[in-house]
Amino acid sequence: MENRVVITAASAITPIGHQRQEIIDSLVNGVSGVKELRDDRLLSGYVESKVFGTVTVPMEFDFERKFRKTMGPVAYYACQVVKEVLEAAGLDNAFISSGRLGVAFGSTHGSPTVQRDIYRTFFSNSREGFSSVGAVDYLKSMVHTTAVNITKMFGITGRVISSSTACTTSSQSIGFGYEAVKYGLQDAMVCGGADEYDTTTVAVFDNLLACSTEFNHTPHLTPRPFDTKRDGLVVGEGAGALLLENYDLARKRGAPILGEVIGFACNNNGGDLILPNMNGITETIRLGLENAGIGADQVDFVSAHATATKMGDVAEAMAIFRALGDSPLVTGLKGYMGHTMGSCGVIETILTLYMMEQGFVAPTLNLDEVDERCAMIRHTGTLRESRIRTAAIQNFAFGGVNTCLLIRDFH
Amino acid sequence: MTREEIQSEILRIFKEEFEITNPGLDENLTEKYDFDSIDALDLLGEIETLIGSSLTREEKKASMEIRTINQICDYIEELAEKRPL
Repeated sequence: MENRVVITAASAITPIGHQRQEIIDSLVNGVSGVKELRDDRLLSGYVESKVFGTVTVPMEFDFERKFRKTMGPVAYYACQVVKEVLEAAGLDNAFISSGRLGVAFGSTHGSPTVQRDIYRTFFSNSREGFSSVGAVDYLKSMVHTTAVNITKMFGITGRVISSSTACTTSSQSIGFGYEAVKYGLQDAMVCGGADEYDTTTVAVFDNLLACSTEFNHTPHLTPRPFDTKRDGLVVGEGAGALLLENYDLARKRGAPILGEVIGFACNNNGGDLILPNMNGITETIRLGLENAGIGADQVDFVSAHATATKMGDVAEAMAIFRALGDSPLVTGLKGYMGHTMGSCGVIETILTLYMMEQGFVAPTLNLDEVDERCAMIRHTGTLRESRIRTAAIQNFAFGGVNTCLLIRDFH
Repeated sequence: MTREEIQSEILRIFKEEFEITNPGLDENLTEKYDFDSIDALDLLGEIETLIGSSLTREEKKASMEIRTINQICDYIEELAEKRPL
């Protein structure tokens, strides 16, 4: 038996705002969350890309020490958005700890800030330094730190899925969570991802010549998805969480429904671990449509992965055209905040839900002149009043991993 | 260090590092304050700083049954007998 799966709560911490209204205002007003790279006294002086999608909203994390003690910055972000989601959903504690609620949550690295402190100790050449490796440093820096800090803080006893597939981390979280509820393995899943401020990720992409460098003095003008002047991605930070529920149970308890997950696909390019692959992306979208049981003509909005690299945007535009044609509006939401890494899939899903709810489609920020090699699809050039009924949210990661989520409006 | 000085330092550490203010000297820290094995390991690090030397593996193992502030003070006094504080 297959269950319908609905989204009943959402929360995001992003470079363009924390709460729902801040984020909507930024989308409507074309506000960028990209800032100058902070001086980290380690790598920032060497990398050529001097921009970062930065969370600037001041946040007070009022977590008790017994929860804080196993958290690095990434887990703070994760637990904060999950806290907001559980509060908004109004689930009772008995259900949360019943084993029928699970967690699908991940990040790219665990906490690179904590890892950096551990490395500092390793290379300090000091015996005294050894004792500075704390008992909880592994718990703060392990790859599944977000998922298990969430289970601990909220007493969640169901399944734990913690994907860590770079840029598809949180789209996989949503997809795998969707499958867990769809096939009755869990009644509900908290899904999402987070990544903290991290200059090592900038250094990695910078060395691959994949980072933006031409707009270091005008950070708000980069990244530029699909634009002729795009010069690479901008690394960012953030977090997002969704609550997915069995539709029948959500309706029974009178939960507000923000949208329905109707399909998910995940595949691999089966080859190069870095280069984008048009065939792989096309196949992901086709598999997503098949999983949702809909035709290409039913998709009216695409949230493109669109990192603003030279090759990636072209491959994605061609894949969208091949799989969906030129009818759906296409927006690259990274234009607003850069690439929030492990959290980009869930953040872009939440932004899409907000646009569905509000009846508008945000344009791709900084898309001033469409690259002719990307021009075969229908770009969202300006803010539009438009009802999104079915959206495809696409994400692709190092390692050749591709995902496509299909979300339907429920209003 | 006198017993009073040790006790004062331990209470300071509990307040500043573990956010536990003025626990009863014979209260079970695990039962009353959720002081767990992770906290215990962190406390050993604080004790090393306090006494200015590293603990041996055996000394660390010997601490695992400690449950109260008074027992912590006893433990530090025993350590002091083996090294000058």
